[in-house]
Amino acid sequence: MLEKLMQTRLFKWLDERSGAEAIIKSQLTEYPVPKNLNYMWNFGSLALLVLTIQILTGIFLAMFYKPSAALTYGGYTVAFDSVERIMRDVNFGWLIRYMHAVGASSFFVVVYLHIARGLYYGSYKGPRELLWIIGVVILLIMQGAAFFGYLLPWGQMSFWGATVITNLFGALPVVGEFLQQLLRGGFSVGDPTLNRFFSLHYLFPLLLAAIVGGHIHALHVVHSNNPEGIDIDKKDTIPFHPYYTVKDAFGVGVFLTIYCYIVFFNPQMGGYFIEVDNYTPANNLQTPPHIAPVWYLTPWYTILRSFESKLLGVLAMGASLAILFFLPWLDRSKVRSSRYRPVYRQMVILFFICVIVLGYCGHSAPTPTLKLVGQIATGYYFLFFFALLVLPKFEKTKPLPDRV
Amino acid sequence: MKLKSILFAGLMAASLVAVGPAQASEGHGVELKHAKVDTTDREQLRRGLTVFTEVCMGCHSAKYVTYKNLMDYPELALSREEVDELRGDKPLTAGLITDLSPEDAEVSYGKVPPDLSVMANARRGGADYIYSILTGFEHDPEGKIPDGNYNLYFPGNRIAMPDPLSWLDHDEADTEMLEQQAQDVAAFLAFIADPHQNERRALGFWVVGFLIVLTIVLYLLKKAVWADVKH
Ligand code: HEC
Repeated sequence: MLEKLMQTRLFKWLDERSGAEAIIKSQLTEYPVPKNLNYMWNFGSLALLVLTIQILTGIFLAMFYKPSAALTYGGYTVAFDSVERIMRDVNFGWLIRYMHAVGASSFFVVVYLHIARGLYYGSYKGPRELLWIIGVVILLIMQGAAFFGYLLPWGQMSFWGATVITNLFGALPVVGEFLQQLLRGGFSVGDPTLNRFFSLHYLFPLLLAAIVGGHIHALHVVHSNNPEGIDIDKKDTIPFHPYYTVKDAFGVGVFLTIYCYIVFFNPQMGGYFIEVDNYTPANNLQTPPHIAPVWYLTPWYTILRSFESKLLGVLAMGASLAILFFLPWLDRSKVRSSRYRPVYRQMVILFFICVIVLGYCGHSAPTPTLKLVGQIATGYYFLFFFALLVLPKFEKTKPLPDRV
Repeated sequence: MKLKSILFAGLMAASLVAVGPAQASEGHGVELKHAKVDTTDREQLRRGLTVFTEVCMGCHSAKYVTYKNLMDYPELALSREEVDELRGDKPLTAGLITDLSPEDAEVSYGKVPPDLSVMANARRGGADYIYSILTGFEHDPEGKIPDGNYNLYFPGNRIAMPDPLSWLDHDEADTEMLEQQAQDVAAFLAFIADPHQNERRALGFWVVGFLIVLTIVLYLLKKAVWADVKH
């Protein structure tokens, strides 16, 4: 189909003015991909899909949403009212809003699995260090975008979540108070906060789109890793198109089926994707009994809460994300894939479990037991990275094959 | 190896979701009563609307629902005459707003009754919770909270809402009728919390059905394209 298209006169005209043929060849029909990728390699294309869904639905939501904390009848606000108008009066507004809300959580599911894949098969190791670093930047911007977006409906969790998180910045020495006021646009979370968060919530995905371009470019320079983690012989590669376009399309089918099932039949996901308390309008005089961020931020929230001192907690939370940048240099092993690293394999699986445990602790109301569990998990989170420094001294890796 | 990685992906996804139900059912100790509600049942929704306008609207509003909505939502489909009777001289586009002013409510009950438009989404348990609250007025076993303010299902048990259906010490013979009224109004509130929910599920049936077929076709296509790749 693509070949036929490329023989049309219109394409020839386009090619002479844009070099389209060379781009299609180098990026698709002649772009070499290892033939042995498993389905864990589908999450990259899925992340791109969800980003697109978020941007498109977001553009339409922004046409109807009003970022104002001005009070309306019954203790509601202009912002909350505008969200309810979208849900009730805008044609298919409910669909667009649920797609966006479920999309936010899906984005993190997909990206966390994408990162887990990278960790398990050593995709962060040379020569893919820059690719990994760009990926970590994407993660941070995503978390920022999600955090800004969560304020917009101006429900109780929006308000108190933003209050708790902006409070953290206040714990930093010297610049803390300045940063906190800069974020809030005042001494407390209020109308100015809502306006700047809306602006940033629109800006961040545009940044994301640009940086994702960089991520894909970096990928296409160093090419995909593979489950064996070895450098690939040219003979063991197949062109991206049609092999991986069709495999990615199948992945998209599976993803969209699950995604649409949730959007149409269980959009709040039992309070996981849209929290129950966020249907109560923001009230700065009434703290909800239990403030928890949405599930995708809870692991980091637990790390924060594991320390008695707020400053230490904030620094640890920052460090837990920042340490990801250094992973390619912390891990000294020459072998990439867990398949040939028996000890690393156990460690990284335990690391995944540890992140899930951290997430669970952060979502639940704090109890002394959960706090201890959270502290142990926090300890292992950091231990994992530093143990990688010395691991090659002890780990006996299995012999690598020459070809896949 | 392939199977393993699929298992691994599945496990990760499952563990993210598995904690869901455990959380959702965690209330404040008491298990909620199960309400029989059907948001597609026109009769039940209309009975619920009547309970709402005749009882609850004495104190509560549902400001996001307009009189016009009552005609336009196919699940309710009130006639113009029925709506005119309900609204009196209020405009068609007005929301269902109580005549009780917040100031008076504060004086009478010590609290402003919350708007009920999205209440079914704003509480864990949704319709079950509303049904339980309405039929949860009892005598405080410890005798501390006065009758009419003790509610088995309300967090802390002390509720500022005076028993709206007169459930406490009701006649044995009325139990069924009162339970029905409570379920009907719970159904109505569950409906208005998300008035496009039935349309959503109906459309979802086709969308998900189409996607399943598409995914199967894509899988077969993938297999065909990959047939010549040797492992
Ligand atoms: C006489 C006034 C009055 C009437 C009539 C009334 N309510 Fe209430 N309602 C209140 C007040 C006051 C509160 C606040 C209770 C509190 O927070 O302690 C309340 C709270 C509620 C809540 C929220 C409970 C919570 O978890 O915060 C629900 C649900 C509710 N009412 C449903 C109803 C329904 C349904 C009806 C009609 C059958 C009704 N009410 C009739 C006064 C009333």
